[in-house]
Amino acid sequence: MATRPSPGRASGRRARDSLLAASFLAPAFAVFAVFAYYPLYRLVYLSLYRPNRNTFIGGSDEWIGGSNIIDSLTSSTFLRSLAVTAKFAVLTVPMGIILGVLLAVAADRKLRGIRIFQTIFSSTVASSVAVASVVFFTLLQPEAGLWRNVSWLSIKQPGSALVAISTTAVWQNAGLTFVIVLAALQALPSEVREAAELDGYGPVRRFFRITVPLISPALLFLAVVLVIHALQAYAQFEILKPTNDAQPLLYKIADPEGVETISSRAVYSLGLFVVSLIVSIAQFGLLERRVHYGE
Amino acid sequence: MSSVVFDHVSKVFDGTVAVDGLDLTIHDQEFMVLLGPSGCGKTTALRMIAGLETVTSGTLSIGDRVVNDIPASDRDIAMVFQSYALYPHMTVRKNIESPLVAHRGRRVDAAERERRVREAADILGLGDYLERKPGALSGGQRQRVALARAIVRRPEVFLMDEPLSNLDAKLRTQTRTEIVELHRRLGSTFVYVTHDQVEAMTMATRVAVIANGRLQQTGTPDEVYRRPANLFVATFIGSPPMNVIRGVARDNGAGLELAAAAGTLTWSTPVSAVGIGSELVAAIRPEHLHVDPAGTLDFTVRAIEQLGHERHLLGRSGDADVVVRQSSADAPIAIGESLRLRPDPAEVHLFDPATEARVD
Ligand SMILES: Nc1ncnc2c1ncn2[C@@H]1O[C@H](COP(=O)(O)OP(=O)(O)OP(=O)(O)O)[C@@H](O)[C@H]1O
Ligand SMILES: [Mg+2]
Repeated sequence: MATRPSPGRASGRRARDSLLAASFLAPAFAVFAVFAYYPLYRLVYLSLYRPNRNTFIGGSDEWIGGSNIIDSLTSSTFLRSLAVTAKFAVLTVPMGIILGVLLAVAADRKLRGIRIFQTIFSSTVASSVAVASVVFFTLLQPEAGLWRNVSWLSIKQPGSALVAISTTAVWQNAGLTFVIVLAALQALPSEVREAAELDGYGPVRRFFRITVPLISPALLFLAVVLVIHALQAYAQFEILKPTNDAQPLLYKIADPEGVETISSRAVYSLGLFVVSLIVSIAQFGLLERRVHYGE
Repeated sequence: MSSVVFDHVSKVFDGTVAVDGLDLTIHDQEFMVLLGPSGCGKTTALRMIAGLETVTSGTLSIGDRVVNDIPASDRDIAMVFQSYALYPHMTVRKNIESPLVAHRGRRVDAAERERRVREAADILGLGDYLERKPGALSGGQRQRVALARAIVRRPEVFLMDEPLSNLDAKLRTQTRTEIVELHRRLGSTFVYVTHDQVEAMTMATRVAVIANGRLQQTGTPDEVYRRPANLFVATFIGSPPMNVIRGVARDNGAGLELAAAAGTLTWSTPVSAVGIGSELVAAIRPEHLHVDPAGTLDFTVRAIEQLGHERHLLGRSGDADVVVRQSSADAPIAIGESLRLRPDPAEVHLFDPATEARVD
C-alpha cells in the first residue's frame, strides 16, 4: 500500500540527487577553481598585502590595505593606460566590424571564384595576434617597414603609435567579423531576402531594414567579444613596442619592463576586471533591446 | 491588372534545362494554375515572372511591357512564398505594410496606409494579431499575413508558390476557398503553382500542365480532365490515374478494335488517323471499367483498397497494371479472383505510342 514514499525516504533521495549533482559539477568547478577563483582570490590578496619575500627569517605578509588600492587606482599610470585601452577599443572595434561586414556583404554572392576571396578574408582568423603583429611589424618597422614614411602610422611618434598598432587589430577584427557575418548572412533564408526585393526595398534600405536586424545577434556577439579582446590586447604592444603614451592597461599589468610593484599590478588587474564586467553588462543592456533572436 | 505572356521562354541552370521553350498566355484576371510533378520547372517559371530568376532565352511580358530586364523591385507583382518569407523582426502590421513603405513609387501617406492594412487584415481575419511578431503565430496565421502583405499593394499579378503545402488538411481546404474568394474579390491575375491536382482542379480558371520543363496542355480543369492532350496529362490528372493498355488496331467486322494482351477494347469516338495495324495506347479511367462476365478484358485481382464510399480493385490485365473503381455497395470480390472487365467505349482515350499525343 506504500505508494507514496515516506518523507524520510524522499529526503534520502534528495540527498543522493544532490550528491550526484555535486559529482557532475566537480570537474567544471575544479577547472574554475584553479584557473579563475584562486587567481581572483590571489589578486585580492595581493592588492591588500605586500608579500614578505624573506623566506629564511619568515614572517607574515604586510597589510597595506585600502590605501594601496586607492593610490593605485588614482595613479596617473592607471588612468592614462586605461585611457589608452579605451582609445584602442574605440579605434579597433567599430572599424573592424564595419570593414568585416562590408567584406562579408561583398563576398556573400554566388560568383565564380568567390571562395578564393572568402578564404583570403577569413585567413586573419587563423593567425594568432602574435603572427599578425609580426606581419604588421614588417609594415610598421621604423627603419625598414613598408609604411615607415607614413607619418600617421609611425610607432615611434607619440600620437601616432596607437593608431599604428590599431591597424593590426582592425585587420584581425575585420577577419573575425567577416567569418561570423558571412556565416550569418548565408544562414538567412533566401526567400526573406527575395520577399524584400519584391516589396521594393533597394539594396541599401534592404540591408539596414532587413539584413542588419536579422544578423543582429551576430553583431552583438562581435561587439562584446571584440571589446573584450581590445581590453585584453597585449601581444601587439609587446611585439611592436610603442612609445610610453601608447601602452594600454594590460601592458602595465604584465609590465615587461619591470617598473611596477606587484601590489599595484594586482590592483590594476582588479580594475580591468571590473571595467570589462561593466562594459559587457552595459553592451548587453544597451544592445540587447535592439537584437532580434529568431522566432 | 495584366496579362502575363511567355513567348518561347527557356531557363537553363548551368546545364539543367528547367524551363524549355514555354509558350503560355495568362489572361488578365485569370486564375492560372501551373501544375506538374516535382522538378518540372513550375517554380522556375513563377520566379521568372517575379524577376527572381533571369530569362535565358525568349520574351516574357507583363501587360504590354517586356520585363526580361526589369528588376524584381520594379515589377508590379506580389508573391506568396511556400515558406511565407515573413520578416521575423517586424510585427504583423509592419510586415503587411512593408510593400507600401519599401518602394518610393508605391509609397502612400500614413492614413491611406493604415486604411489598407486594416482592410487587408479584415479580409484575412488578422485584426487581433497586428501587434504580434510572426514567431507568435500559427502556420495558418503566418500564411494569412503573407497573403495580406501581397494584397495591400494591389499588384497587377499575384504569384503563389505552393502556399498551402505547409498547412494541415482541414486548413488547406479552408484556405483554398479563401484564396478563390480573394481572387473573385480583387479581380487581379493570379498565377498559382502546385503539384496537387486537387488544388488545381478546384481553384483554377485554367490549368497549365507542365512536365520536364515543357508545357503539356492548357485548358480549363474540365477540359484537361476530359480531353487530355497526351498520355502524360492522361495519367497525371485523376486519382487513381487512368489505366494504360497497349495494343494494335484490327478490324472486328463491325469496325476497329484494339487487340491487347488481356483482350479487346472498342471506342465510340471517331478516330480518323488510325488504320488497321496501327499500334495504339488506350487510356481509361478506373471508374469506366466495369466488372461484367460479358466483358472483353481479363483481370486478376491482387489487392483491394477500401475507402469507405468506394473501393479500388488493384490487379493485372495481361501485361498492364489496372485499377478498377467501384462503389462499396457492389458485389463482394475476393483477392485472387479472375474477372472480366467491360470498358466503356465512350470513355476510351487513344494515344500514339511514339509521340504520346492524342490521336483523335
Ligand atoms: N538555382 C538552381 N540551380 C540549378 N538548378 C536548379 C535551380 N533551381 C531549379 N533547378 C532545377 O530546375 C528544375 C526545375 O526546378 P523547379 O524548382 O522549377 O521545380 P518545381 O516544378 O518547382 O518542383 P517542386 O514541385 O519540387 O517545387 C529542377 O531539375 C531543379 O533541380
Ligand atoms: Mg517548386
